[in-house]
Amino acid sequence: MEKVLMKGNEALAEGALRAGCKAYFGYPITPSSEIAEYMARKLPDSDGVFLQAESEIAAINMVYGAASTGARVMTASSGPGISLKQEGISYIAEAELPCLIINISRGGPGLGGIQPAQSDYFQATRGGGHGDYHVMVLAPASVQEMMDFAIEGFELADKYRIPVMIMAEGTLGQMMEPIILREPVTKFYDKPWATTGCKGRKPNVITTLHLPPEELEQRNKHLKNKYDEIKSKEKRAEAFMVEDAELVLVAFGLMSRVAKKAVIEARKNGIKAGLIRPITLWPFPDQHIIEAAETAKIFVSLEINMGQMVEDIKLALNGRAKADFYGRIGVIPNPEEITKVVFGIAEREGL
Amino acid sequence: MEAAVYFFINGIILYTLHKKHWKYIFFDNIISYYIFFFCLKKGGFLLQSTRIFSGGFGSGKSEIALNFALQKKSEGSGEVILADLDLVNPYFASREVKGALNSRGIRVLCPAEELSFGDVPNIPPEIIGILKQDNDMIIDLAGDEIGAIVLGYIHEYLIERQGFEFFLVINPYRPFAGDIESIKELKKCLERASGLKFTAIISNPNLVEETTADIIKKGHEKVVRYADKLNLPIRYLTVEERFYPELAAFYPDIIKGLNLNLRPQWL
Repeated sequence: MEKVLMKGNEALAEGALRAGCKAYFGYPITPSSEIAEYMARKLPDSDGVFLQAESEIAAINMVYGAASTGARVMTASSGPGISLKQEGISYIAEAELPCLIINISRGGPGLGGIQPAQSDYFQATRGGGHGDYHVMVLAPASVQEMMDFAIEGFELADKYRIPVMIMAEGTLGQMMEPIILREPVTKFYDKPWATTGCKGRKPNVITTLHLPPEELEQRNKHLKNKYDEIKSKEKRAEAFMVEDAELVLVAFGLMSRVAKKAVIEARKNGIKAGLIRPITLWPFPDQHIIEAAETAKIFVSLEINMGQMVEDIKLALNGRAKADFYGRIGVIPNPEEITKVVFGIAEREGL
Repeated sequence: MEAAVYFFINGIILYTLHKKHWKYIFFDNIISYYIFFFCLKKGGFLLQSTRIFSGGFGSGKSEIALNFALQKKSEGSGEVILADLDLVNPYFASREVKGALNSRGIRVLCPAEELSFGDVPNIPPEIIGILKQDNDMIIDLAGDEIGAIVLGYIHEYLIERQGFEFFLVINPYRPFAGDIESIKELKKCLERASGLKFTAIISNPNLVEETTADIIKKGHEKVVRYADKLNLPIRYLTVEERFYPELAAFYPDIIKGLNLNLRPQWL
């Protein structure tokens, strides 16, 4: 099969189109803008809607409205824009509407910079807006996965009626790799809840307002049950050489590829290193961590932030092993740098 | 430097031919020097060259421009300027290797200081002065028509320069470069935005790490068809250095080896 050379952002947008995405609402921001540009070029040709909204807040509320009709819809942004969208995401989560939200993340806080970062981990995995809710978070590590996860993201969103976020570092959005174009999705979920016109049936109402306390609690319990189901079924991670590992690196996204090289280098030097790459950031793949803790003495969280996922690792470990952290912001460290870190920790821990 | 060499050689010729007094040789030399270099300059070679690389997003412009700059510098002693005018965003731009280029004697023009990590349209102001001087200027633009707009600003200085080449870089494996209609549209947009006409095509067929000689050949065939339809010559076929020995015999007139400087090694 002939491959195409694509930027991560382009691959993600093409994946969304192949998943049957019918509407895109957004406001451009570096390093995510190519997604909007790609959608603007392609969506009108496929009977879809592309709309550059006046702001991120408007865009996410358009997603809210369009998702109510059962159509596959998405928006994309980066750090500051994703912050603006949080109110809308909270509404969408409560209304249980499937949609795809993309964060091609850059360094914060505030305006920060436009270089790659993973510092929106807390925001993404804890819900981000007000109320008890979660969005599912997928972290691709290659341009191919940008396309694959866009398709999978829509499937998961429809299956669980939940907003799905794809979070990738700016570099992954910008860099190019050859990929295989996936077959377009042709089978879609039934959506009896959608507001598609109520001729011959009772009207479907999409609302997030629940004034009676019993009703509000009932809604929250319902959401909690759904989140528990997702936690039990959808945690995903990739494990690499962890069977006998004494030192386990944990890294997601592009960082995991750097970490893998460092693991190989460490093994060459007799250090029993391994890697766990969380693919779903929420639900966090804690079972993988627990299993690796049978042999591992220390876990090292490698992040392009100042230490966020390391807290989930500690929660998963619950004292079973030590957890350490190494992070940068605005740059993706190269394998040599990480290898040095691994050697340093291995020496300190006597491994 | 050119003047010294010229005076020396011309001096010897004048002396051996005419056996004139040194004073006459000196004045002869100065007058003929000015006539000689005036003609050269009007003739459009030696003192200036201007190469502009434009094309779709991700067609390989920056890597190619960088390689041209390094090659130009290694060929001669003239001033080589690499203007990184990617105003769209700073990911994978030549400014990342500014230090290394400077140390090899190449002057890099790019947004100043902290703006070099930004996505604000900042054109280095010194570019206009530099365009009026004698040097080898290599201009690397951002992708698509958005990237080519910047040329509008320096257009009047560019058309005054000699040795002018405006390249359309094509990688047929990129989206929106897979059929002639898209390429025609791209060419039209880029020429409209820049106010300049392309002089040639650079064929850059590749799938980065997954490139094979066969992929290059197949892709190049496609670019040849585009070139035919666009009525533009293919000036270069750029291939990664590792494919050069294998392919040089097939495309002896246009092949050019490239070293990739902007792509992280660990990919």
